[in-house]
Amino acid sequence: MGEVALGIVANPMSGRDIRRLVAKASVFPTAEKANMIQRILTAAAVVGLPKVLMSTDVGGISAAVLRALQAHAGTPPWPEVEFVELPAHSQTATDSVALIREMIARGATALICLGGDGTARVAAGACGDVPLLPLSTGTNNAFPTMREATVAGLAAALIATGAVSADDGTRRATTLRVSAPRPGSGELRTENALVDVAIARTSDVGARALWDPDVLTELYVTFAEPDGIGLSSIPGLLCPSPRTSPDGVALRLCPPSRARVVVQAPIAPGLVLPVGVSSWRPMAVGEQLAIETDRGVIAVDGERELAFAPGRAPPSVELSAHGPRIVDIAAVMAAAAREGLLRTPPPTPQERS
Amino acid sequence: MTQTTSSTTGLTSDRLLEAYRIMRTIREFEERVHAEFATGDIPGFVHLYAGEEASAAGVCMHLDDRDAIASTHRGHGHCIAKGVDPTGMMAEIYGKITGTCRGKGGSMHIADLSKGMLGANGIVGGGPPLICGTALAAKFAGQGGVGVAFFGDGASNQGTTLEALNLAAVWNLPAVFVAENNGYAETTSSTWSVASDNIADRAAAFGMPGVIVDGFDFFAVHEAAGEAISRARAGGGPTLIEMKFTRYYGHFEGDQQKYRADEVAQAREHLDCLLRFRTTVTGDGRVSAQALDAVDADVAALIDEAVAKAKADPKPGDDDLTTDVYITY
Repeated sequence: MGEVALGIVANPMSGRDIRRLVAKASVFPTAEKANMIQRILTAAAVVGLPKVLMSTDVGGISAAVLRALQAHAGTPPWPEVEFVELPAHSQTATDSVALIREMIARGATALICLGGDGTARVAAGACGDVPLLPLSTGTNNAFPTMREATVAGLAAALIATGAVSADDGTRRATTLRVSAPRPGSGELRTENALVDVAIARTSDVGARALWDPDVLTELYVTFAEPDGIGLSSIPGLLCPSPRTSPDGVALRLCPPSRARVVVQAPIAPGLVLPVGVSSWRPMAVGEQLAIETDRGVIAVDGERELAFAPGRAPPSVELSAHGPRIVDIAAVMAAAAREGLLRTPPPTPQERS
Repeated sequence: MTQTTSSTTGLTSDRLLEAYRIMRTIREFEERVHAEFATGDIPGFVHLYAGEEASAAGVCMHLDDRDAIASTHRGHGHCIAKGVDPTGMMAEIYGKITGTCRGKGGSMHIADLSKGMLGANGIVGGGPPLICGTALAAKFAGQGGVGVAFFGDGASNQGTTLEALNLAAVWNLPAVFVAENNGYAETTSSTWSVASDNIADRAAAFGMPGVIVDGFDFFAVHEAAGEAISRARAGGGPTLIEMKFTRYYGHFEGDQQKYRADEVAQAREHLDCLLRFRTTVTGDGRVSAQALDAVDADVAALIDEAVAKAKADPKPGDDDLTTDVYITY
């Protein structure tokens, strides 16, 4: 096996925002994130992965992994773990971007990110063509899957080592690219979303999370699944479009009292709220749509990111087919079963006795 | 279905100016105390709140006369945000008879019960149990009052704080616990001393919501605090909010700060709550730069006068020795 490595980026801040307060969203303590990484290491070792590139943080996750490594006496031995340091931790998304770039420079052949939709979005923007497995430890989690870390570790290691090819075990995600002028300067800023872009008639980015559907005016999604959680569940319950389809959906929203259709949608964990929809239509790859709301805040994947006001160029959103390569755990494990990758020879009679 | 109230619809320009005035008053007050302390005229110790203004302002703007707060040794900001008169506070810090507590408390014991400010507190972790008391009283009074305990990362490890979190949860008290994590308990880094790393993570063990907020961002604080306080008023029980930020000065004035790298310059330049607030509200045109400049000038004059008055006012005399010491119920 050549130089292969699995990068693991764990966001220490995921799963702690205001939705714990407004929506009884789940809590992922630091200790549980560190436990998940240990389960990934155990699984990856069985696949024969030689090396893991581990993110560092000041939130205690990498420290807990280091303590676990020093105490680990299990069989098989865990892969070599190389900690990727940063010159300084900003404790913002830029840390994740810098860590992923450094992991790729050091030869990462697959990446796992632990976080919510926000973390997955940041990782997707930094991972280039390296397969990414987003594992849910966040809040909304429309994009990262809530999967057992042990199985995710097997799947990611099978991709990292090339035992399952990227063609067989990954799929290309679509993304939404949104651009809008900053209030005041008019400077155009761009963000990419993996799941949804929502336009809210509010004035502040504030506590970032978005949980009040009455302020929403427009919604754009890369996919819409009826059993989804988050804003994409709104079209998911009206006009489903699976994540395997390249098409997206564009919707205009309004207060339920003026709506053509009102959907009771699970827009966040703990929140099933009536959302008024005045119209919707499919959105094709490459299609660029003008945002009609003149000022407000743009939320990407459920988090308010950009305040905008009329400026030099109107805000717009475009559906792109050039998203990250996402590890499809079910497809990887199906290939492993089909090709017997996790079978071992039966014990010999001598071994049995 | 869970119903929530929304505070995402923004603040009026008057309220924005009020927020700015509170934060600017705290900053100006602390910068002046920093400068004046170096002259040796101020007795005792002072612990400055500069850098943390968005926390006090963003929380206390949701409070009214029904509500009480408990503070810390770093209490000037909480006092100002809860409406205590800065002129009386300055005189108090100078130990003058015109002070909020007639010059007998000093920086670490400023209290104004008429404003629902239960006091700065020299006992680390002293505030949270007090707030269980006021919250219990508020619950019996049935007027929707809440208690807010501000405490630091050091206090988060004190038994009193953990007991108060437990009591507030089992009695479902209208209490909000605001952990102001400025990174250091005196000189000990919270990344070393706080076992769960995030103080907010501890809330889950008490069955209450715990959220982390960027403590430099007034809007994030205001929104999270608004939700927690509305929830408490409506009988929803306690919340733990962790503010993450940096204090601009040492633990106390005179602290050599050899335990930390120079993170303050970077915070002042890029994260500062007043700068960010100004950029946001002038950027989208809700408040003009001139209006903010006028607040700056007003506040500077107010603090100038407060310092001049504090210096000129008399100290308590011999006759005051035994007054204000005992209270008759």
